[in-house]
Amino acid sequence: MIRYILKRIFIFIPTLIIITLLGFIISINAPGDPVERMVSSAQSGGEIGTQSLSQVQDKIFWRKKLGLDLPVFYFSLSSCSRPDTLYRIYDRSEREALDRLISQYGNWNEIQQYADGLKSFYSSLIAFSPDSNLVKQYNKNTVSENMNQLKFESLALRSFYEDNIITARINKISDILAAYPFLASFRPAFINIKSDYESIKTNTSSWKNYIPRIAFYKTQNQYHRWLFGDGEFSRGLIHLDFGTSYTTRQPISDVIFSKIGWSMFFAMLSVILAYFISIPVGVKAAAKRGSRFDKYSSVILFMLYSMPSFWLATLLLMTFANTDVLHWFPASGVKPPTGYPDAAGFFEKVKLSLPYLILPAICYTYSSFAFLSRTMRVSMIETIGQDYIRTARAKGLPENKVIWKHAFRNSLLPIITVFANIFPAAIGGSVIIESIFTIPGMGYETFLGIQTNNYPMIIAVFTITGFLTLVGYLVSDVLYALVDPRISYK
Amino acid sequence: MKESAGHTERELAEGTKNHFSFKKYAWAQFRKNKPAFYSYRILIFLAIIAAIAPFIATDQPLYCKYRGVSMFPAFSFSNNCEVKDPQTGEVEKIQYDIADWKRMDAESIIFAPVPYTPQKTDIDNSGYIAPGDKQFFTTKDGEQAELPTRFRHWLGTNKGGEDVLSGLINGTRVSLSIGILSMGIASVLGLMLGAMAGYFGDRKLQTTRGSFWTFLIGIIFAWYYGFSVRSYAIADGFASSSLAMLGQLLLSVFIFLLVTLLFFYLGKLAGKIPFLSSRVFIPVDSIVSRSIEILMSMPILILIISVASIAKEKSIINIMVIIGLTGWTPIARLTRAEFLRVSSLEYIQAAKSMGFKEFRIIFKHALPNAIAPALVAIAFGVASAILIESSLSFLGVGVPPSTVTWGSLLNGGREQFSAWWLVIFPGLAIFLTVTIYNLLGEGLRDALDPRLKR
Repeated sequence: MIRYILKRIFIFIPTLIIITLLGFIISINAPGDPVERMVSSAQSGGEIGTQSLSQVQDKIFWRKKLGLDLPVFYFSLSSCSRPDTLYRIYDRSEREALDRLISQYGNWNEIQQYADGLKSFYSSLIAFSPDSNLVKQYNKNTVSENMNQLKFESLALRSFYEDNIITARINKISDILAAYPFLASFRPAFINIKSDYESIKTNTSSWKNYIPRIAFYKTQNQYHRWLFGDGEFSRGLIHLDFGTSYTTRQPISDVIFSKIGWSMFFAMLSVILAYFISIPVGVKAAAKRGSRFDKYSSVILFMLYSMPSFWLATLLLMTFANTDVLHWFPASGVKPPTGYPDAAGFFEKVKLSLPYLILPAICYTYSSFAFLSRTMRVSMIETIGQDYIRTARAKGLPENKVIWKHAFRNSLLPIITVFANIFPAAIGGSVIIESIFTIPGMGYETFLGIQTNNYPMIIAVFTITGFLTLVGYLVSDVLYALVDPRISYK
Repeated sequence: MKESAGHTERELAEGTKNHFSFKKYAWAQFRKNKPAFYSYRILIFLAIIAAIAPFIATDQPLYCKYRGVSMFPAFSFSNNCEVKDPQTGEVEKIQYDIADWKRMDAESIIFAPVPYTPQKTDIDNSGYIAPGDKQFFTTKDGEQAELPTRFRHWLGTNKGGEDVLSGLINGTRVSLSIGILSMGIASVLGLMLGAMAGYFGDRKLQTTRGSFWTFLIGIIFAWYYGFSVRSYAIADGFASSSLAMLGQLLLSVFIFLLVTLLFFYLGKLAGKIPFLSSRVFIPVDSIVSRSIEILMSMPILILIISVASIAKEKSIINIMVIIGLTGWTPIARLTRAEFLRVSSLEYIQAAKSMGFKEFRIIFKHALPNAIAPALVAIAFGVASAILIESSLSFLGVGVPPSTVTWGSLLNGGREQFSAWWLVIFPGLAIFLTVTIYNLLGEGLRDALDPRLKR
């Protein structure tokens, strides 16, 4: 038995790793740059199209804090033409532009020279402060306008990779530089950049793109850091650190653990309710097979089974939480909008919350109830057909005893195994039901996360749900092994 | 009905008397199952609706004769037509998709049965007009009148004045194609993997050490040349159009297969080298079974939601593909079990002893006898795929707002509970379709279950 459980746990671990991998793959493919997201929510304003020094520093800080300055995985499969240090460039669009340039021309040395030239050109532009002579000589506006234009163009140039666009931008900058004598100090640097770009195009070595190369990064990578933390900013998944929410800047784990209660409550409640109702229904239908009860219950269960939960939820809301029809229940939330009174005890709170819980509980329960009843019925019918049931009847035992003492226990097995299907379904279904009833749980938080592109939240919910699902399977397997003495696990 | 029942009996009798054909027997069994058989008929009806949806729910008339010129706007590929006024010689250009057909002075005009295009607003009837309410129409002269019966919104309109019935008809298309595409992918994956796992088991597929390792390395190379090198080409294809996307993907898959094939033959050569020529078994069954186990213990709905929410291009096809890629496990499981049974049968042994290629034995001899349980799983799979898609479009996750589906129609009713028609009709459509597929699945299971055979 213990060996069997150990074996199950042994399968449990790779599945868990795959779930974390999937979560990680989803998170690195999420659109947008997390750094931009953090910086822009931290501070807004500043000149459009330019980056102040503090902004750059901010970006570098957030990149480090989010661990994005590391390579993605333990190893990477890339081409011979790519340097294995490309991930160090902090700006996402710049990195992509350089990567695309490499995939076009394959000559990193030239591209690096060009990129470095652009970078120092840009910082010299930033550092440039027009002295008073200049301002006297030219209109003040002309100077600042042209400087801004130059900054904008040269920053934009860093995120372009198409040849015609780069050429056009380079020509534009050259024109501006040529037009004003006070910009003369920048000319030589820019002529260098221009010739660097030309040499990228002439000295191509795109064959290098077709030679694969595997680079290994040991534990200094994003996935490892995401799992185990880096001891500085992140404590890692194993310490339940899921990162920072994009919207509220709170740690995700705080948000989730304040919300998970309601989700677990409803999942548990629905599973328990479904088992309590479905077992008698299934047994009765099977015991009186072909009776009117059996026929009607079969049809109703089948219909419930095919019923989309969001439709039922909307129908219930429309009928029972609608001021025009019947206003028996409140439409959303889990407690009165004003909150509980201060003096309210536990039972008082339950009483206040009860009307809010009934409709969601129905929606959570009915589909697993239908599924369980059908399973119970089939398994009971199979058991009743067994020889030992006939023997029991032949002994003259009352039907009640035959059903509940002899048949019932043996037909419980399939119902236990489907626990593994029901529990995850309850958690997964929570996204839909919680968003319809605005229950402040994990599912509703996911829904909000999707609407606000709060990807760390979605990934965290995915990982946690995956873990809970696995635990559900583990529990049902162990229960199965415990209940059925016929099965030996060796 | 009597006739068909008699026909069934005769067919059954003939089937058993002369030569027993399982297909005929199963079909007869299936026909006896009334709910399943009616579901089958309704499904055919729905398929027809889905196929001709653009012609039965469109505001472009099927036929129109205007100033002596005959037009077939609904069927036409071009979007405009030039009409010359016979008296003045003035040329009027009619643009099919924005022309105001309902107020046109046409000599004769035949409208589609539902004269509204989904997602096109009817300004006169915006703001939740109930099916039974008075519906309005602005005549040519700019007067408000009651809507002619021909143009009635039989199932009402939504907030923007879009016709619900037309949306429903269009949604049929989406729903059925979800079933076809996602379960198509799932069936191909499930049948292939299940067949291989069941047929080869752990100790039947032999190869040399050399070709095994060469093949593994080859897959890395194939991935590299097919997808890594071309990643930007694929990304650009995704960004431009669905045709370019498909082309780029196909090209990548082609390169992938080509390189794999190359390494396969290289591996055969490598297998001739002394050290590399020792035999190894490929544990196909273990690999497939573990993958099924892993995929089955995953929160699929949340996985689909997460993937759909990060997709840059929101598209219904994405969702179909994700459902297909995650939904193959039941099919594979059943096929595997069936193949375990079939592959020990005598006729398969006979085929083997005749020296047939394994590929041929699997797909030509074993698969037709092992496909029955998979059909049942596919029917149930379609039902759950439709449920997943409609839940997603109900939540507005991963589905572009430009696509009208049953789920998105229902979502419109959530904002306004008094608009009961927006909740009842799309919900009923989803419910009906899911029930049909579930009934079909049950019917198939009963008809194909060999234990019921006498």
